[in-house]
Amino acid sequence: MRHVRGFDVARPLSIGMLVFMMLPLVFLPLASIFIFGTSNGLGNFWAALTAPEAIFALKLSMATSFWATLFNVLFGLFAAYVLSRYNFLGRNALIVTISLPTAIPTAVAGFALLLLWGPYGTLGRFLRPQGIQIMFTAGAIILANIFVTFPLAFGVIKPVFDTMSRSLEEASATIGATRVQTFWHVTLPSLRGAIVSGALLTFARAVGEFGSTILVSGNLAGRTQTAPLYIFAKFNEGQIEAANAIAIVLALFSFLIFSVLFFARDWLDVD
Amino acid sequence: MSSCLPQPPAESGGINITLYGFSIMKESMEKAIYPGFAAQWKRDHNQDVRFTSSFAGSETITNQILQGVSADVAILSIDRDAMRLKQSGFVTSDWHALPHNGIVNKTPFVILVKQGNPKGIHDFADLAKPGVKVVHPDPVSSGGAQWSILAIYGSELVKSEKQSGEPDRARALQMLQAIWRNVISTPGSAREARTQFETGFGDALVTYELEGMLMKEAGKPVEIVTPQATIFSEHPVVVIDRNVTAAKRPVVDAFIQYLWSDEAQKAFVKFHFYSVTNNAFNEENKAFGHIERPFTIDYFGGWSKAYPEVIEQVFKNQVQKTK
Amino acid sequence: MAQVARMMKQSVTPDFKESVSQTAASVVGVSKFFGKTVVLENISFDVAEGEALVLLGASGSGKTTILRIIAGLEQPYTGKIMLHGKDVTELPARERGVGVIFQSYALFPKMTVEKNIGYGLRIRKRSRKQIKQTVNELLSLVQLEEHRKKYPSQLSGGQQQRVAIARTLAYKPEVLLFDEPFGALDAQTRVHLRREIRALLRKVNVPAIFITHDQEEALELGDRIAVIRLGHIDQIGTPSEVYNNPATEYVATFLGAANILEGTIHNGHVEVGSVQIPARIDVAKFSEGQSVKLIFRPEDVSVSKTQTLPSGHACLLSGIVEEISFVGAYERLRIRLDPGGSAACDAGDTPYYLTTETPESQTAKPIIATRPKPESMATKLRQGDRVFIGLTSFTILPSDSRASPGPDSSK
Repeated sequence: MRHVRGFDVARPLSIGMLVFMMLPLVFLPLASIFIFGTSNGLGNFWAALTAPEAIFALKLSMATSFWATLFNVLFGLFAAYVLSRYNFLGRNALIVTISLPTAIPTAVAGFALLLLWGPYGTLGRFLRPQGIQIMFTAGAIILANIFVTFPLAFGVIKPVFDTMSRSLEEASATIGATRVQTFWHVTLPSLRGAIVSGALLTFARAVGEFGSTILVSGNLAGRTQTAPLYIFAKFNEGQIEAANAIAIVLALFSFLIFSVLFFARDWLDVD
Repeated sequence: MSSCLPQPPAESGGINITLYGFSIMKESMEKAIYPGFAAQWKRDHNQDVRFTSSFAGSETITNQILQGVSADVAILSIDRDAMRLKQSGFVTSDWHALPHNGIVNKTPFVILVKQGNPKGIHDFADLAKPGVKVVHPDPVSSGGAQWSILAIYGSELVKSEKQSGEPDRARALQMLQAIWRNVISTPGSAREARTQFETGFGDALVTYELEGMLMKEAGKPVEIVTPQATIFSEHPVVVIDRNVTAAKRPVVDAFIQYLWSDEAQKAFVKFHFYSVTNNAFNEENKAFGHIERPFTIDYFGGWSKAYPEVIEQVFKNQVQKTK
Repeated sequence: MAQVARMMKQSVTPDFKESVSQTAASVVGVSKFFGKTVVLENISFDVAEGEALVLLGASGSGKTTILRIIAGLEQPYTGKIMLHGKDVTELPARERGVGVIFQSYALFPKMTVEKNIGYGLRIRKRSRKQIKQTVNELLSLVQLEEHRKKYPSQLSGGQQQRVAIARTLAYKPEVLLFDEPFGALDAQTRVHLRREIRALLRKVNVPAIFITHDQEEALELGDRIAVIRLGHIDQIGTPSEVYNNPATEYVATFLGAANILEGTIHNGHVEVGSVQIPARIDVAKFSEGQSVKLIFRPEDVSVSKTQTLPSGHACLLSGIVEEISFVGAYERLRIRLDPGGSAACDAGDTPYYLTTETPESQTAKPIIATRPKPESMATKLRQGDRVFIGLTSFTILPSDSRASPGPDSSK
């Protein structure tokens, strides 16, 4: 493209093309959720949103995602530390294994958990006589969320570890700090941005998880039904407005999270 | 950790019954049966009963129970699913010993078409016409889908038998194959299939009559086409004995019995199921269509024959594989 | 004390040690291997109280490993590290109390200048008041008071380095270790900063070990210099010792430019080509007929158009000016020596003799000479001029000068 009297045609053209391409792929599907969700009036929308089972589903999603996020961020930190600091046989195999859940269909992940923890599962059959039943409880949802979001926080934190100069930690050691002090005062602050964005990514992904949850949760409304399951259930019952109301909440929530990630980058990376 | 998870509504001071039901049971259970029984139990025992439930395809909920969800009671679309629960030891009592063989209600299979019936569909045979798009639930996960197959196949057998005195199996198979060539989607449950049809997919949907009536009630632009001959699907209730504690047993048993009470049976009729106890109740529902030649699973010799001979031999081996 | 050391710099090392100080840090017989590769072999040296020692070597010489072993960041295979008389070999880095100034400064990016400096005291659980006071003192010492609230990324390289130094001084280190401290700086800042650090060290009187590959830096910073090559110390001594009396050819060439002529010991003289140079005490170390190298620096060469050289300059040979280049502070000449016998210096003072039957290859090689500006202005030379050449000082080393003949192998 040429500059015509200082005007670059490529600019508006390519921006327009981008928006046009995104229209049927992203914008319109999202818009239809909003249009449909509010088509019966805001009163109905609000009623659908504040139905006890809907509120419970949202709360359950938030709570289970929170615990899964907490675990995966701590785990991701630990794993990233070990895998970037030590070189050992099988290190690459471990890295690949951690990343595996991204490629496994989430339904398979749910099924795998059932096969392990279910009443007849590899471990579950030994727990059952003890009266321990993990599947079809909120705990199962957390386990499923942990599984499917396993590599996310790790994936964000590890590169920061890799590029972090060893000399920072060495300097701290020569100054007199213990390993714990060094980790707390030196390593962790440098990871702040990665931890926050890793946590937000994990959380966003966990809140939206469906495939594995539907298999392991039991899908009991008001008990083990998360927001995405609620949406699916309502859709199946033909209550599309109710489904859309919660879908709108999830969409706005995700928009919020990624806005934070995007606009808070400067704050997160501040030196 | 559990303290940091949202609590299900008040567990204490009452009994909770967890019921897994096949998809179309939802409205009648939640709107009439649960409150009806809870009121009765409260009156008689001064104790609160709460229900937690999940509704999905009959095969799906059966599988969930087999995987260990803590259901106390299941209402299934097909007797075969109850058999599966029995074989795995989840159900130890004989539900056939319950009133009416354990069947709580029934509903015939019909065809739903768009308002005005633009494709001119008047019986199952019309579904085989070229260019008709059929939505049909998936027999793998849905009991309703299996009923639907039996309805189509059986309908042709009944008609051929009436014409020639002999049921013509070849003709019935041909019909099933022809219709399945027109199937454009197989959702996981009858309810899912309905939602899909409602959003504009397909020209026809084979489903429970009750679904069509619920849709019409909701003001959806659909029409019900009642075939000349069709099957009544019959829905058994089972107690998941393995999960029911001794303390819970009396209330669960009382609930099961309640399902055949006049109050419950009338309620089912109100939600467009046919009553199994009293035909007079069925007269109340003026929306029920007229079926010339209704039949039941007994026409095939019960589920123990119908499943291997029709669903497996005919449908899975001859229809699905040649599709 | 460092000032004293500075003043005594010209004196020989043993005197310096005895007169001034106790030992602050010792490296005793340290060896290190990575697999089968020898990284360090039997390294020993002491650093006196208040002294600045420079470990000078090319990259890969093992100098950084020595520093890391002293700091406790790496373990020696054999040998030990003593700090103020205490064996710290088994102590982890954090218990040694050494201050390391990393090449990258390693300032904590998420802490302000103040917090960086106070870090050592915070983890030592000192009182808030004490930390504040120390930080203030150090900020004023390194002249960064107005930058106290800034983050490292907002400071220049030199400022960052001053923070790094202050950060180690806060906990009164036993010894300061500088790892290529000026490597990341531009040439101007480098010169400026090393003078500042020199002055600072004198003020705080903490012994320091520098690591560098820059000979100019080594000469300016060090009370003593240890030249490291392939895991060995080739020579350790004051800057003037290692510069003027290099113990090995490597030391000679690594510290500045050097001309090297091959010769043999003959009859109390060094015979280079057809020239015989009386080498006085040097020669006593060598046997008759031994191959030697005559090593002299470009600035030790005096050049004259006439045969008369300033007194004290040994007239060596004559040659032709091949190339003249102007290198700022001085003028550099490339002179091709005459292939023997063509010219002689004034016979009266000539301390050597020329013979004529030497092969050309021995003498017809170029040497490099430098002349300070005043001299090059006074006597202008042009390409092709015939000149006479004398030497002010030189060193004689055996031809296989791998093994160090000892620090006092001078004329």
